[in-house]
Amino acid sequence: MNAPIPNLSKRQIGARVQRFEDTRLMSGAAKYIADITLPDMLHLSFVRSQVAHAKILEVDTSMLEDLDYPVQVFTGKDTDGLSLKANQDLPGVQRSEQPLLALDRLRFVGDPAAVVLADDPYLAEDAAELVFIDFDPLPVVATMEQALAEDTTPLFDGWTGNKFVERQMKGGDLEAARAQAAHVIRRTYRNQRQTGVPMEGRGVIADYDKGTRVLTLWSSTQMPHLVRTYICEELGLPESRIRVIAPDVGGGFGVKGQVFADEVLIAWLAIQTGRPVKWVEDRRENLIASIHARDHEHTLEAYVSAEGRLLGLKADISTDVGAYSTFPFTAGGDPGMAAKVMPGPYDFQAYEATFRALATNKCPLGTYRGVGRPSAVFSQERLMDVIAQEIGMDPIEFRLKNVVKEFPYKNVLGFTYDPGSYEESLLKMRELLAEDIKAAEASKASPDSRIGVGIACFIEQTAHGTGDFTKRRSPIETGYISARVEMSTDGEVLIGLGLQSHGQGLETTCAQVAADALGVGPQRVFVRHGDTLTSPYSVGTWGSRGGPLGGGAVHIAANKIADKLRLIAAHILQVADPATIQLDENRASVIGDPARFVPIPELARAALRNVDRLPEGMTPGLTEEFSLDGPKDGTYANAVHAAIVEIDVKTGKMKLRRFVVVEDCGTILNPMIVDGQVRGGVVQGIGSAIMEHMIYDEEGQPLTTTFADYLMPLATEMPEIDVHHIETPTPLTPLGAKGLGEGGAIGPPAAIANAVANALGVEVEATPLNAQAIWRLAKATRSEG
Amino acid sequence: MRPAPFSYHKAERLDQALALLAEFGEDARPIAGGQSLVPMMNLRLARPSHLVDINALDLDTIELRSDHLHIGALVRHERYARESLIAQHFPAFAEGVEWIGHPTIRRRGTLGGSISHADPTAELPALCVLLGAEIIAQSAEGSRRIPAAEFFISAYVTSLEAGEMVTGIDLPLPKGKSSGAFEEFAERSGDFAIISAGVTLEHDGRAITDARVVWSGVDLAPVMAERAGDLLRGKPLSAPEAEAAAQAMSAGITPLDDPMASAEFRHSLIVELTQRALTRACEKAMQAS
Ligand SMILES: Cc1cc2nc3c(=O)[nH]c(=O)nc-3n(C[C@H](O)[C@H](O)[C@H](O)COP(=O)(O)OP(=O)(O)OC[C@H]3O[C@@H](n4cnc5c(N)ncnc54)[C@H](O)[C@@H]3O)c2cc1C
Repeated sequence: MNAPIPNLSKRQIGARVQRFEDTRLMSGAAKYIADITLPDMLHLSFVRSQVAHAKILEVDTSMLEDLDYPVQVFTGKDTDGLSLKANQDLPGVQRSEQPLLALDRLRFVGDPAAVVLADDPYLAEDAAELVFIDFDPLPVVATMEQALAEDTTPLFDGWTGNKFVERQMKGGDLEAARAQAAHVIRRTYRNQRQTGVPMEGRGVIADYDKGTRVLTLWSSTQMPHLVRTYICEELGLPESRIRVIAPDVGGGFGVKGQVFADEVLIAWLAIQTGRPVKWVEDRRENLIASIHARDHEHTLEAYVSAEGRLLGLKADISTDVGAYSTFPFTAGGDPGMAAKVMPGPYDFQAYEATFRALATNKCPLGTYRGVGRPSAVFSQERLMDVIAQEIGMDPIEFRLKNVVKEFPYKNVLGFTYDPGSYEESLLKMRELLAEDIKAAEASKASPDSRIGVGIACFIEQTAHGTGDFTKRRSPIETGYISARVEMSTDGEVLIGLGLQSHGQGLETTCAQVAADALGVGPQRVFVRHGDTLTSPYSVGTWGSRGGPLGGGAVHIAANKIADKLRLIAAHILQVADPATIQLDENRASVIGDPARFVPIPELARAALRNVDRLPEGMTPGLTEEFSLDGPKDGTYANAVHAAIVEIDVKTGKMKLRRFVVVEDCGTILNPMIVDGQVRGGVVQGIGSAIMEHMIYDEEGQPLTTTFADYLMPLATEMPEIDVHHIETPTPLTPLGAKGLGEGGAIGPPAAIANAVANALGVEVEATPLNAQAIWRLAKATRSEG
Repeated sequence: MRPAPFSYHKAERLDQALALLAEFGEDARPIAGGQSLVPMMNLRLARPSHLVDINALDLDTIELRSDHLHIGALVRHERYARESLIAQHFPAFAEGVEWIGHPTIRRRGTLGGSISHADPTAELPALCVLLGAEIIAQSAEGSRRIPAAEFFISAYVTSLEAGEMVTGIDLPLPKGKSSGAFEEFAERSGDFAIISAGVTLEHDGRAITDARVVWSGVDLAPVMAERAGDLLRGKPLSAPEAEAAAQAMSAGITPLDDPMASAEFRHSLIVELTQRALTRACEKAMQAS
């Protein structure tokens, strides 16, 4: 046992540890779905609808008969009875199903009606062109207005109108608030439809082993266990014989945080054909037929006292959720989230929200970084600026007056906010913006170029537990995360993590957490994830729970092993009290007497091999597992974002001069990773605010089907993103950590819109704030000049 | 997003390329940098059955030939910026090409590819029209020179015929003192323009003696401002009344209208960019004289 002992007495949690996964990801050694090849594999190409709404008369596959290479074709008739069902069990919900392949109706451009399988992906795509869908067009529901119209054509048989769900949330006495109000301020706000655009699209491979009756499915997913459960239930296979592997996943952002009909379909096809089946989504499919996001319209009415106190808020929330309800968060997920979080960081006790999910002939809407919150915060924070303006208060001052200051705080809907730094973060931001505010003031005299400063102050419910999910009565049901920690004979640590890490850096942060518990270097901890065979059951990576719950589960399981190591060490060192043993620098030593120690690998060997060295009665083994549920109401992270923009009044060209973030995610596990998560999120939020726009025409045809038309933020346009931290650990998770994965993407639309409003002296009611939109808004400013 | 089946032929010399293009006619396309053709093929918007790879051909010279500058069809976009002949004689060209795509695209994309592809808002077609370029087209039968103004017919449509390819362009050298500038407006850097405006001026050191203005984003091919010369001739270089001239020359123009940019927005950009380009071209001329 002469291994060199590194100096590790420094606590790993909170240290700037470089990401271990980057060596793999940055050197081309990562393995994605497209890199996986199995012998005798079939390649799949979808035949997708080119029209938005139609009745299928026939899917004509006869032209495939003349091909000089073998192909197999399957249509909705073959998969009849198999579907994706994602329904909330609540009044006000209309039930629906998404067939694995369209059977009698095409519901959006991109809706698959058949698949062609061939030995080569090129041949499959060539053959797919020869399948014709014969149809009768149906009236297209292309907008929310059309979905709400009396004479709308329901998307599903047996439906009345086109609402997946319409419900209410309320608390307090809104009438009283209205009666007391000196100001009643009402506005309507709109956020466009966009999509999440992971760098790697989706992809699925399924392989069925007849001998063992084991189905192995590789999918670029954020939730391998939920995929496994859904396939088990839909195809009637024993769950023990399904293995789902999410290999390296090139970004997800929520887009891959649903179970897809094609995952079930491809599993079924592997069984039907007896051969492995592979599908790799191309960019066009990814843009038109994966998952879309946002697309909200809100009307808010605020009741404000003469002194500038917010007394109550009424909200009407509509979301265009497209053609199908997604699993497990359902069609009601996005508008429901917006309704739930609309009260935000503000202290008022009367609220009523009506929210609805509208069915249209567009790609289904699902989860995307922020889920409902970016839109809610856009409306809420635009309105806060408008109110401040109307009552003649400084916007930061007005927020300072209204934010929650005492914790724990029970909000108007009964959610309890754990301690945060709402006031401090606003104060800190005010300090950071002093120069920018002066520059903005000075620019108001210029006819050509205006500077504007805008902020968004928000909270984010993260790591919410089962209590929050059961209320929704949707198929998500729970939100716990599990980890298994195992030490091997050489003292190295293996973690089987129920999360899937696709950019979050969990291979590093979870290693840091285990390292602190076990007194070994984080380099000795290998974190495996994204494989149902190596990880205990979990709901997957979404909802900003990786750090607080995944890290928390690792912490608890690792500490159980640490306790056992201390017992063994105490026995070997003949110390009475195991609490006097410390684990550090890869050894177990007696506190205050460091010369008395046992190397940790020796303890591990005692637990696993030389078990005669264990204390009397102790069972061998060094594996522990823990499933950590989140607190019922979650833990609330908070942040203030600020955008500083400069607008060329004549052309509408907007430059982001600077973006500033003050955020509080409780205990910081790794500052570099927190900064990276915040910056990445902010860039996506800037995309939402300015340019990412999935445009459909009135026939329901998507117009932005390539990256030439669907504009993503580019490095060339991104400003300096200045990130500041305040650390308020939460008592509700084991490490004091709150979630932070989504926060970056939540604030930018509101902050940028407020900055534009500030620069031009106009009201901003919608995104995207692209050049044309800014140019329109600047019209008044131009005629002044 | 995989191309329909095609055969690939690598030409080593011009005559070979022309013979292949003659043999396959309408079914063949030359491939140069592939930056436009390959995406079109992957989307199955282009389905050539035969690709004739022209990258090995000796068509990448930039040289002065008597009264014009010759630029070969295979000159890559990244090279223009390094050529002092371009900077010296064609300031509008030098500025305009800086707006083409990103470094990776400029490394592969070619002059001949860009003008043959004829994207409605690509910079090179607009610059060719502005500078009165002649486009040299060759086929197995021989060669012809096509004035740029007649070459660009519509979006992705040129007057090239099946079997023909571009071997280069000739830019006539300005006769007297000249200046030029180029302005563009795109949503992000490297995007195709929403509107661009290119300007060349001839002058005598004090006043404008002639002017040309080109726009893209107005129609499906570059558009010359018909009245530019009339409006600007005789105007002082120091105060060219750029705004009034830009307003006047764009009056009555009805630009394209689409969800990204309405006709009204484009029109306003035309006026603003033209004015800015004119002003800068004059400033450059003043500095030089
Ligand atoms: C992301 C991106 C951004 C871009 N941004 C811009 C931009 O801002 N501005 C801009 O102008 N361009 C832009 N481009 C296009 C780029 O400039 C291309 O390089 C150019 O349009 C085509 O040149 P190429 O050599 O790649 O041609 P190819 O793609 O090889 O060919 C294009 C077409 O021209 C034909 N062709 C090629 N060479 C010849 C020839 N010598 N004679 C006859 N026909 C020929 C081909 O058959 C094909 O039809 C962009 C491209 C991309 C991918």
